[in-house]
Amino acid sequence: MVNVRDIKTAVKIGSLVLKNPVMPASGTFGYGEEFASFVDYNLLGAIVVKGLSLEPRAGNPPPRIIETTGGMLNAIGMENIGVHAFIKEKLPFLAQFNCAVIANVYGETVEEYQKVAEILSGAKGVHALEINISCPNVKKGGIAFGTDPDTVHDITGKVKQATNLPVIVKLSPNVTDIAEIAVSAQDAGADAVSLINTLTGMSVDIISRTSNIANLTGGLSGPAIKPIALRMVWEVAKKVSIPIIGIGGIMSPEDAVEFLIVGASAIQVGTANLINPLATMDILEGILAYLEVSDIMDIKDLVGSLKTERPREE
Amino acid sequence: MMTVCKAVAAGNVASNRELIDGHFLMNVKLPLSLERPLPGQFLMVRIRGRREPFLGRPLSVYEFQRHVKNVTCEFLYRVVGKGTQFLSQLRLGDAVDVLGPLGRPFEIYPPNRKIVLIAGGMGIVPMTYLAGHYRSSGAGRNMKIICYAGAQNADALVGIERMQTCSDTRISTDDGSRGYSGLVTDLFARDLRTYDPRETAIFACGPRPMMKQLAVMLKDKSFPCQVSVEERMACGVGVCLGCVTAVKDDWGKRQYKRVCKEGPVFNIQDLIWD
Repeated sequence: MVNVRDIKTAVKIGSLVLKNPVMPASGTFGYGEEFASFVDYNLLGAIVVKGLSLEPRAGNPPPRIIETTGGMLNAIGMENIGVHAFIKEKLPFLAQFNCAVIANVYGETVEEYQKVAEILSGAKGVHALEINISCPNVKKGGIAFGTDPDTVHDITGKVKQATNLPVIVKLSPNVTDIAEIAVSAQDAGADAVSLINTLTGMSVDIISRTSNIANLTGGLSGPAIKPIALRMVWEVAKKVSIPIIGIGGIMSPEDAVEFLIVGASAIQVGTANLINPLATMDILEGILAYLEVSDIMDIKDLVGSLKTERPREE
Repeated sequence: MMTVCKAVAAGNVASNRELIDGHFLMNVKLPLSLERPLPGQFLMVRIRGRREPFLGRPLSVYEFQRHVKNVTCEFLYRVVGKGTQFLSQLRLGDAVDVLGPLGRPFEIYPPNRKIVLIAGGMGIVPMTYLAGHYRSSGAGRNMKIICYAGAQNADALVGIERMQTCSDTRISTDDGSRGYSGLVTDLFARDLRTYDPRETAIFACGPRPMMKQLAVMLKDKSFPCQVSVEERMACGVGVCLGCVTAVKDDWGKRQYKRVCKEGPVFNIQDLIWD
């Protein structure tokens, strides 16, 4: 059996090397301050912070969340402190850890994406950008950008021009053919794609006959979406050669391993953080244990190892 | 270097009984490492290993006791939805995960203040814990505590017994089945002019319409008044931004604050009630 300390877990995203494939998903980890008393960030592959826009955004009115079977709906509405306050007030705290910082970028126009990317590129301590073209909870921008291959190509190309940092494009599942969008991002120079963002959904209070979310619709996350996310990662893996970061309902190490098998090089833990602040650590530990008992010396050997033909029964 | 020490506390249900229709008193045994919650703070309670309910539920502390080998935490709650429905089915020994104490506590005033507590429905829970805190702290022992406790009917006044032992408790019910007939804010309004804003501190917890009414009553008065507000939560620790409520900032501009982090206790004049 292999020794757990000898297992290679490093993952490459463009020019950035992550020491392991585990990171939190944007929007479930704040700007990193709250979880610092639970999680040793030095052990994580990366930290992904809440989406940043050029100016601060107040977000949607409450109620913003509702529990649903096997998950939850949210419509936060991209509340954030804005890119300048992030760099000044939050980034110095994150810089003390031996851990890559991935800044999630949000804009209402192509120019805003470009501008935010440019500002973050000039900040010390940001190691990669994740471009959120898939937020389902804001009226303008977001999802509209993420559902059209030509627009995705345009934004990705313009952001690439504005930065030297590796660019990850975060894809929306609310499309007919997610692989087509992923190919567009790759063609425009994306260093990686991350998927999936939340699925647009609804929940209704039958007494008052109102939506349980003030925004009327919200984004569904949690274990309920995992099978869809796995299928989409698998579809995208067949079409692109850049690394894929798998996201969607990962609650356990076994869930994470499923994503690696269908073709994700790394994974993001999202909603699980909200019910267990230690989820990222527990999942990382469990992935290592799986590699150890499976005699896998390098995590790369697991990525995309799905057998599509069932073994013949003897 | 940060010290990474916090963890989710593993608890076991010691008892969970229905006091009256839909109202449960649950006692949970927890490790000594759990800090004593300050009045106004809450704990996220989640049934271990369950996918439903999926999220933890924020619960106010009714009573907290430190023993030699463990601590016990008492929760008084009303079944209002799926989460509390599942909590009500817990039996002796069942495992729960507890995160906390969380949130901004009540600011405790020095003992020269007269303390007025206003509780609507299950708002009695944090008010009782607060009254107990004043009574058990040396300086607060001789303070005058007056509690206005209101509920829909006499049965729903469940939980006021402990309050009655440590305060001058004045009762209202919406249907008049016990005490003053009407809203608890109306009962308090009758006494309002007898209190001096310079020597009275008001604390309140209850349904949103009750607190809105109280905010209107106190609008042009200088009473310090802290209220504990409720909002649906996911994480309880400030990362998801799911539990916000609208407040005025220092310049009167509207903004959202996290109930789990900047709250659940707010100054009543800062809250926006639309």
